[in-house]
Amino acid sequence: MMSEIKIDSILVSIFERAFRSITDEMSISLTKTTRSPILCEAKDFVTGLYDAEGNMLEQTENLPILSFSLGPVCRVIIKQYGENIFPGDVIIHNDVFSMGNQNNDVAIFKPIFFEEKLVGWSAAKGHQADIGGAVQGGYNPNATEVWQEALRIPAVKIYEKGVLRQDVWNLIFANIRLTMVPEDIKAQIGACSLGERRLIALVKKYGFPCFEAHKNELFRSTEKMMRAEISSVPNGTYYGSSKVYYDGKHIGSEFEIKAKIIVEDEDVTFDFSETSPQTNGFVNGTYTSSCSAITLTFLQMVNPEIPHNEGMIKPLTYIVPEGSILNASYPKATTFGNHLCPQIADSIFKALGPAMPGRVTAGWNHLLCALFTGKHSRNEEKYVDICFMGLKGGSGALEGDDGYDHIGMIDASGGLLDQDYEMYEQQTPHLILKHEYLCDSGGVGRWRGGLGVETIIQMGGDNATMVVFGDGDVEPNYGLFGGKGSLLNSITLTYPDGKVHTPMSKDLIEGIPSNTIFKQIASGGGGFGEPEERDVASVVADVQNEVVTKEQARQEYGVVFKNESFEIDKIATEKFRDL
Amino acid sequence: MSFIHQNLSENEHIIMKYKLGIDVGGTFTDFFLIGDDGTALIHKTLSTPEDSSIGFITGIKEIAEKLHFNLPDFIKDIDTIVHGTTVATNALLTMNGAKTALITTKGFRDALEMRRGIREERYNNHYRNVKPLVPRHLRYTIDERIDAEGNALKAVDTKELDVIILKLKQEDVKAVAVCFMNSYLNAEHEKQATEYLRRALPTLFVCGSYEVLPSVRFYERVSTTCINAYIGVVIDKYLEALLEKLHGINFTGKLMIMQSNGGVVTPEVARKIAAVTVLSGPAAAPIAGAYYAELLGFDNCITMDMGGTSFDASLVVNHQCVTSTDGNIDRHRIALPTLDIVTIGAGGGSIGWIDSGDLLQMGPQSAGSLPGPISYDRGGFFPACTDADLILGYLDPNFFAGGKYILNKEKAARLTEEFLGQPLGLDAIQTAAGMYRVINMNMAQGVRQVSVERGYDPREFLMICAGGAGSIHAGEICRELEIPMFVVPDVASIFCAAGMLLGDLKHDYVRSYMTRFSKLTKDKFLALYAEMKLEADATLMEEGITKDKIEYLPSIDLRYMGQFHEVPLEVSMNDILQFNTDSIAETFHAEHNRKYGYELKHEGTELEIINVRLRAVGVTEKPVSLSGKKKQGAATLEEALKCHRPAYVPENDAMQEVPVYDGDILFDNFTIEGPALIEQINTTVFIGASYNCETGVGGAFIVYNKFLMPNGFEKKK
Repeated sequence: MMSEIKIDSILVSIFERAFRSITDEMSISLTKTTRSPILCEAKDFVTGLYDAEGNMLEQTENLPILSFSLGPVCRVIIKQYGENIFPGDVIIHNDVFSMGNQNNDVAIFKPIFFEEKLVGWSAAKGHQADIGGAVQGGYNPNATEVWQEALRIPAVKIYEKGVLRQDVWNLIFANIRLTMVPEDIKAQIGACSLGERRLIALVKKYGFPCFEAHKNELFRSTEKMMRAEISSVPNGTYYGSSKVYYDGKHIGSEFEIKAKIIVEDEDVTFDFSETSPQTNGFVNGTYTSSCSAITLTFLQMVNPEIPHNEGMIKPLTYIVPEGSILNASYPKATTFGNHLCPQIADSIFKALGPAMPGRVTAGWNHLLCALFTGKHSRNEEKYVDICFMGLKGGSGALEGDDGYDHIGMIDASGGLLDQDYEMYEQQTPHLILKHEYLCDSGGVGRWRGGLGVETIIQMGGDNATMVVFGDGDVEPNYGLFGGKGSLLNSITLTYPDGKVHTPMSKDLIEGIPSNTIFKQIASGGGGFGEPEERDVASVVADVQNEVVTKEQARQEYGVVFKNESFEIDKIATEKFRDL
Repeated sequence: MSFIHQNLSENEHIIMKYKLGIDVGGTFTDFFLIGDDGTALIHKTLSTPEDSSIGFITGIKEIAEKLHFNLPDFIKDIDTIVHGTTVATNALLTMNGAKTALITTKGFRDALEMRRGIREERYNNHYRNVKPLVPRHLRYTIDERIDAEGNALKAVDTKELDVIILKLKQEDVKAVAVCFMNSYLNAEHEKQATEYLRRALPTLFVCGSYEVLPSVRFYERVSTTCINAYIGVVIDKYLEALLEKLHGINFTGKLMIMQSNGGVVTPEVARKIAAVTVLSGPAAAPIAGAYYAELLGFDNCITMDMGGTSFDASLVVNHQCVTSTDGNIDRHRIALPTLDIVTIGAGGGSIGWIDSGDLLQMGPQSAGSLPGPISYDRGGFFPACTDADLILGYLDPNFFAGGKYILNKEKAARLTEEFLGQPLGLDAIQTAAGMYRVINMNMAQGVRQVSVERGYDPREFLMICAGGAGSIHAGEICRELEIPMFVVPDVASIFCAAGMLLGDLKHDYVRSYMTRFSKLTKDKFLALYAEMKLEADATLMEEGITKDKIEYLPSIDLRYMGQFHEVPLEVSMNDILQFNTDSIAETFHAEHNRKYGYELKHEGTELEIINVRLRAVGVTEKPVSLSGKKKQGAATLEEALKCHRPAYVPENDAMQEVPVYDGDILFDNFTIEGPALIEQINTTVFIGASYNCETGVGGAFIVYNKFLMPNGFEKKK
């Protein structure tokens, strides 16, 4: 029957826009209606549309780490319910052992029916402000099992045939601390209903057979785009690896992420079989979070205009074995999983460097993050603050362009923003002394790594608590093709009595007195290409702008300045550079 | 060049006074002249990008010639010129502003360039940060500090400023922005430094953030202040030269400049706060839109303006043009109240291309005006939207801009089929129809963005089309969005120039006052409003407005405790003066519910106030009507029928013979059934099979969807 539909190639373009418009509108709706700042401010959520078989029609994600987080769950739900799906059903899910990506990321799925036939799914997943477990907010560095981290929600109907299952609803929210969470879940249901309404209108306008045929044609078109990108990569098997330091329990512990990437004509396989086994702490990935990290890294190496639908991921195969640090087995703790993204990205960029030298970047700054809680000195009110401004380092350089300054971890790729300084000083008792680019922090290279930042804060309010989590304090990130890595991440506290304390990369520090000085270095990104080949004018501009010192210019870039000026000593420079 | 109403007699002009709107665009400078008896004239002349005041003056001379007036007499009779300029916009887009320095608080040198660490394109590693308006080596810091309660922690040391002043001289800097941490709470340091610099550097343009945007949020403030400094010198020079030229032709009337907030301003004020002119060009379109909506009895409308390279959409809600403080220009943040205009890369020059997945795409690349679309026959060979409109029969190759240009339809069809049709397996007409459908979908998406993102349902709006090409596409955009009706005013081709004549003097003031709403103190609250009102009155009176012509529109930025974003809330002046906080809180809950679908009143969540704002409006004298006097047109519809020609009817996906009417003589009330075309010199209206069109209503064509408005358009007024 389907073969009778004549493909109208223009209609495929129209459908592509229509799907995009629907998931975008769902996303707007979520931004407008959610309450938790993680959702309405940081936009840590994804909206998507799927066909009846669970193939992605389109998705809108603000943070790339969510790029792969809905599809596998959709298939789990389809399999679990089979024929037992009805118009008006709403299904909720977060379980990391049935394709959830992170405990706090709770998904809502709504089946879409047209003329009593299942034609698709709308979905919205967002990071909830609380998900039960031992610690509010879900971040428990002492966890060894999932129950210490979160309430597990395998796929369950909270509405059936349009009727709220109040008992199920009560059970779930009896186990979650904050009253805003059920409200945010309602907002997600609202976004799914919006997607449902608009997809039905579209199917009605063109008829189901036409929709079905043209949607498949869109997948084919997108798949062709992706395959064209892959076919430009030489066939071969490529290896790359990176290290994860400290599991939060054993000082000096190290783990290895090993990527084996097989490019065969128009297909590519990401095989992480040789990766270290899972840890006994919470530094473990889930299948879905690791696949998201793989996907977002690869997407940064191809045409950014490729639509995000099933056709895009069809040529990609993921092998992430259960029991490894990237796919912990039941019932391990996994809250740190998303933060393994930078290391996964490193292993892929390193592996594909020789095959795709024009597409890979040098190392991005890894996440090292401080979270403060305490009481505001002015009004004795509790505050919680993740120091976003301090954690955002530079991205790695790539052929043709310097890295992006102060972009932050690759998981978000510039989607998470600094707090405004003045708002920060209103909302916390702290005084910001410095937040500036750090000189000489970009890894040297023909294209320089993006700059890191230095943050100095004079803490206010007695008895503050600081949670530290992240990495990047042991091994500097890497440069490529002659470029060099950058600095280490670091956090130090200088107490009023002059004592200096350097926390571990996963740590909890209590009882911090006021007037303690917090200092954080978020490193820059790695450089790309031989530094001596860097355009002299760019080096001069960097020196003039005081983001590169004359010493670094001379030693690394071979650019020598005449004393006390920005004028080049041509003879000395030529001599240096010819060597 | 066309008259709406021709042949003004010598006698008439003696008693006439004129108002003239002048909109300088990239290619054309548009003029709209209206006399106090309602006579109106549309004129276009080529823009002179090297110095846009040349085209400005040339156009005035051409109009005088056209009207057979001698220039001095004509100039004498013009009492007001309102001018929209792209000088500031262009200086920003091309980075051709003054060499500017920034002086800021020690430790905060990079906020301007960091832009809070955003990368707009997440997956594109070649995407570069925007080049800062002030490079790092011209960003200086001094060791001063005000804390979060407004206390001075460290005083300004003028010795530090002396060192910087020396460097500014060496660097030959032309403008200086001063922006210190927490100056919105206590501007003493900033003021001291700004005044010190002004004394030391009297020839430089110096501005402090307290003069431009005294409100909380450092990045917003530093960016807006730097924009002001960067374009300040450019605007100052431009207006000085323009005033001199106008003086040279003995112009003695008032010159007003269009602002980004939809108001006008005198040149003297614009020269101080140049940043208010950043969106001077397109800002008048929604004002004209509001006029037509009101004329037809509607409260709300969407104005769309399809030009050569871009498509603008903006909202009018409850007769007010929607403004926001979330604006960006070329990724530079500007936090002054600015008309909320969504711009996407879709226009007559938008190029069709096939992506690597074999799908047809339109734009955002544009053929521009040189070489332009294929049909211009000036060497362009990429099929553009205008080529598609021509192939589909919407445009007459011999009547483009009233026959000024002859379009090469054969070449357009041949190359479109060759470049796009063959890979897609389509003939020229099918390909052009595809281009038409795809670009319409893109523009519908832009309209959806401007409405849905702001919490409005486009189906409840009237669409008003500006720009010559917009009315060919409006029907399909409206069908996609289920908008029941669109309107094509007779001034569509010079819409902004017409809208300018409707602008009032508007000035926006802001003060930050951050506290729990329950802890607001009446005295301080009222003092802030009194302070803003004083400033407003002084400025408006300087601009020649009398007290009885001033209106005040106060608003307050509020949010629930714990939220990050505040909601701007319009409140009545009465509630402010009576300190009626309960009524204000009620209004907030309701507005929050409308915008976000929930309110927290019943949970008892407290409100937090961030800013108090005052907009002061100096009501200007405006023309009674934009459509001018009625004049003798066609007596019957048949009289206006030019011909029949085949045109693409999207509802039937086919080329059909459709009647073509001469829009320049359709003044009386007729009903035209779609499909049909109405041609005017600068505008073509396509009426699809779903539509009917009413003519002769308020100087506009009213096109309504027969299915969504089965009873037809009811004439109001």
